[in-house]
Amino acid sequence: MKIMVAVKRVIDYNVKIRVKNDETGVETANVKMSMNPFDEIAIEEGVRLAEAGTAEELVAVSMGGDGTQETIRTALAMGADRGIHVASDEALEPLAVAKLLKALADKESPDLIILGKQAIDDDSNQTGQMLAALLGWSQGTFASKLEFDGGHVSVTREIDGGLETLRLAMPAVITTDLRLNTPRYASLPNIMKAKKKTIDQMSPEDLGVDVTPRLTTLKVVEPAKREAGVMVETVEELLDKLKNEAKVI
Amino acid sequence: MLHLTEEQIAVRDTFARFTDAEIIPAAEAIDEAHEYPKAMVKRLADLGFVGMRYPEEAGGSGVDLVTCCLALEEVARGSMSVAACVTMQALMGTKFLEMLGNDDIRERLFKPALALDKIGAICMTEPDAGSDLASISTRAVETDGGYILNGAKTWVTSAPVADFFTVFARAGDEDKLTIFLVEKDFGGLVIGRPIEKMGVWALPTSEVAFNDCFVPASHRLSAEIGDGEEHLRKLLSEIRIATAVLGVGIARAALDEAVRYAGERKQFGKPINRFQAVQMRLADMATDLEAARHISYHAAQLLDAGAPHRKEASMAKLFATEAAARVCDNAARIFASYGYAMEYPVQRFLRDVRFTLIGGGTSDILKLVIAKELSV
Ligand SMILES: Cc1cc2nc3c(=O)[nH]c(=O)nc-3n(C[C@H](O)[C@H](O)[C@H](O)COP(=O)(O)OP(=O)(O)OC[C@H]3O[C@@H](n4cnc5c(N)ncnc54)[C@H](O)[C@@H]3O)c2cc1C
Repeated sequence: MKIMVAVKRVIDYNVKIRVKNDETGVETANVKMSMNPFDEIAIEEGVRLAEAGTAEELVAVSMGGDGTQETIRTALAMGADRGIHVASDEALEPLAVAKLLKALADKESPDLIILGKQAIDDDSNQTGQMLAALLGWSQGTFASKLEFDGGHVSVTREIDGGLETLRLAMPAVITTDLRLNTPRYASLPNIMKAKKKTIDQMSPEDLGVDVTPRLTTLKVVEPAKREAGVMVETVEELLDKLKNEAKVI
Repeated sequence: MLHLTEEQIAVRDTFARFTDAEIIPAAEAIDEAHEYPKAMVKRLADLGFVGMRYPEEAGGSGVDLVTCCLALEEVARGSMSVAACVTMQALMGTKFLEMLGNDDIRERLFKPALALDKIGAICMTEPDAGSDLASISTRAVETDGGYILNGAKTWVTSAPVADFFTVFARAGDEDKLTIFLVEKDFGGLVIGRPIEKMGVWALPTSEVAFNDCFVPASHRLSAEIGDGEEHLRKLLSEIRIATAVLGVGIARAALDEAVRYAGERKQFGKPINRFQAVQMRLADMATDLEAARHISYHAAQLLDAGAPHRKEASMAKLFATEAAARVCDNAARIFASYGYAMEYPVQRFLRDVRFTLIGGGTSDILKLVIAKELSV
């Protein structure tokens, strides 16, 4: 089995996000970037399948501008065999990414594509679903467990009220949820080995994909500041405030 | 600021994340246990920490000192005990086995030590020979098939858990410093009880005595009798720079805690970071840290480039550890009573940072080295 994993470079989850003064987006200059945490889970799952002998090859792919290679390199240090970087300085929307991934899937013919269920920067939660639709493949989203038998994969999904298990015919698209696995730390020897692995570079044009944005961002603003709470002296005062100020009772 | 390569960033990130997720939450319990934190150090070894500076042929990753320091700084901001244990294993306890050991020693002791399946210690200091290593009096007398070792060492880090000991002793007609390897099951080796220490509680340190301890000729690591001092001198710069970086790491932890606390603690109706005196203190701490970081990594870069670095390594250790001690002291002042309380980590920083002022040469000794380099 050949697996393709999509990874995205996002602002590190520890960074306190700041909105740009001109309200066009969030500040990314001099901000620590790292791999989207759900994508780390996707890579980890791929590496485990490779270690178990279920997968023969694991290809990590990403799209974006400067620095994207660093994120692919992280995937290689975790255990992916090689990387593909689609270089683009455009802000890539989920549909454009799904189209690029489809073009890569046509080229690489993987049996399985694993993505994070969403990226922590825009929280779109669309790319995997769109990709499955474009490819006409089965999809198992929010996976918390994968089991393979023959040409099928059983996907356990966390849904409201419990767990659902789907049995998909491969090729398939999987998106990862938090509890699928705990990603490993890249070890020093593997970081050094990753230096020698190849990352192919190509452009959206090479893949024949138009990535022109279709959405316009009107404005990005900070969430409203939470007002400090007030201490009430008595239950009567509380009831009065709930009734007359908050108007909730 | 220091320009980092992609691999250096990747290595730093690995250990930064490991520190945040694994070491910091466990740091207090590790110290409270007063025991060598084997499980944690093993995990660092599995990430390649111990082999970092050794060539790939020897089972390491062959990274430069800057990369090593980046990793060390991260671990030190999590736990000085853990950082000191792993530094001892990586840079000192195993060093002379890789450099000077025969195939048997490298296969049987050095290789497993990279994965922490064996633990190494280094015995230089003696009760009457601290800064003044020329006063070492442990002696090795040649006998049939080897040497008989007699003497007492002290402050031997990791001794209670060590599988092998690199020992500096006098040997030969001229009584010159020579390096020997003693394994834990050699007759005549006695390990004392761990010394109760003010800080780095999880770094067990003991006296070690050799009572007519037979060391086979294969375990004389020195190729030449009397080459110990030269080997020691070569190792010292790296140890000093590494110790400087331990200071940088703990100072970072102390500053982070102080900045956070100063924003949360309210007195006189406002957060204490609204008071200019507290702001000044934080600014001093941040500046000390920044300078400490620069002088340390500059020395590491010189060493990596093969440029002269003896003076700069000593300056780095002197400045960075003194600066770190000031930063930890200032953090404790910002925390006031809570800096004195065992339930906050600042008291631990204050106790642990003092170890960096001693190991690798005291500040006074470093000044002597620096002055000598100035040909004073
Ligand atoms: C936690 C810990 C772990 C250690 N681990 C090890 C280990 O694994 N292996 C090992 O061999 N050693 C180890 N050491 C020992 C350490 O290397 C020595 O403590 C250090 O070299 C200083 O020696 P000393 O403590 O005997 O101080 P002394 O040499 O007795 O110094 C006392 C004071 O006199 C000053 N002084 C001495 N000589 C001069 C001079 N010529 N001019 C000016 N001032 C001077 C010093 O600066 C100091 O202030 C460890 C120490 C500690 C605290």
